[in-house]
Amino acid sequence: MQTLAPWSLWLPRGAALAGLLVVGAAHAAPTWAPPPAPTAPVTDVAGVLSPPVRAALDQRLTRYAAESGHQLVVYLDRSSGGVPIEEFAVKSFAAWKLGQAGRDDGVAVFAMTDDRTLRVEVGYGLEDSITDLAASAVIRTTMLPLIKAGKWDDAVVQGVESLVDTIEAKPGSLPVDGADGDEDAAMGLPAKVALGVLAALFLIFLILRPRSALGMLWMVGRLGLGGASGGGFRGGGGRSGGGGATGRW
Amino acid sequence: MNRRNLIIGAVLALAIVLPVGGLASSYNALVSLDQTVESQWAQVENAYQRRADLVPNLVAVVKGAAAHERETLEAVTAARSRIGGLQLPDGPRDPQAIQQYEAAQNQLSSALGRLIAVSEAYPQLRANENFLALQSQLEGTENRITVERQRFNDDARAFNTRRDTFPTVVFAGFLGERFKAKSYFTASVGAATAPKVDFPSAG
Repeated sequence: MQTLAPWSLWLPRGAALAGLLVVGAAHAAPTWAPPPAPTAPVTDVAGVLSPPVRAALDQRLTRYAAESGHQLVVYLDRSSGGVPIEEFAVKSFAAWKLGQAGRDDGVAVFAMTDDRTLRVEVGYGLEDSITDLAASAVIRTTMLPLIKAGKWDDAVVQGVESLVDTIEAKPGSLPVDGADGDEDAAMGLPAKVALGVLAALFLIFLILRPRSALGMLWMVGRLGLGGASGGGFRGGGGRSGGGGATGRW
Repeated sequence: MNRRNLIIGAVLALAIVLPVGGLASSYNALVSLDQTVESQWAQVENAYQRRADLVPNLVAVVKGAAAHERETLEAVTAARSRIGGLQLPDGPRDPQAIQQYEAAQNQLSSALGRLIAVSEAYPQLRANENFLALQSQLEGTENRITVERQRFNDDARAFNTRRDTFPTVVFAGFLGERFKAKSYFTASVGAATAPKVDFPSAG
């Protein structure tokens, strides 16, 4: 809507914007901001998951997202800092743009270990598959009993599995491992040798022509980053309407 | 001579075209903000409708176990039917209608809050899967209501800010109902009085 003809730019647009910012700041009183967008499906700030379990779940969720398009995210922290878990969930969901653009088919599981709160937030696009009732059932029957028993690994893995089963309406729907087509995970011997040769060449180059070697490094870094943000982790959706369920223990 | 006229003509033309173009673009911006408010209003209504749809089942389940809580049950049913009779032809463009709507919804909120509080006393209910399911759905809709109301307020605020700044403030008054300042939902009722659902040692 904002494609303005250049000649209309004289408008006191800046004034309007300033007014908007002032009002916005006065009203919102930004006491907190959602945490930065995670770079992998599972984020464990609280440190309650064992690293191998977390890594395995990361891979399974990455593969599930690649196959189904549904982005499922787990975020574990100690506390939401006095913000109600529901608000924390819906704002983080929006800030992280979970799910695909236009589909909003993301799901996020939040748990705050010190607050003892748990929230499943469902994007608009998956509300029909994961109803509030279904989300509540996963929390009550699968996750909370295990959390109470201190079995965080099982609680998170089984909770995520049942959420995926709910979406697909079929048990065992979460891929068992993320190895399929994932060249990072399974790098064969030839690839390792090739990488070693490349690194050696680069070192020689660095000694002989330091400046151009660094330039090359910069180029490669840029290319790599560009690729990552193109097909990367962030979805572009992000709209959820408070669907899902909350649990406390 | 001829060339001078041309320059004067061009300057005059610009002097007319620039403000008209500016007005047009800020008018268009206002229209699109108004559309956002309208569609967000629909979301608010949806969320409230979801809740209203839960009420008959909830009342039926509670009645089955706690029939003599007649007063509480009747208050819920009455509040629910008042909402059914509300008419909002102008949607969010009619501040008074919004106030009435909100008041009626708040009545249902507090009636439901009482109903849930009362049912805490019935172990039979607290062990009833059907009741627990309805309770979690109710909790879900209350949360949706909070979210959509907050977004409505944000959108209304964006519209009002735009409307009350120059140059729109100069002409917004002449353009009719649609460009009146939007009113807001007041206190975050949903969050404050959402019935706390407390599952008996869930699991």
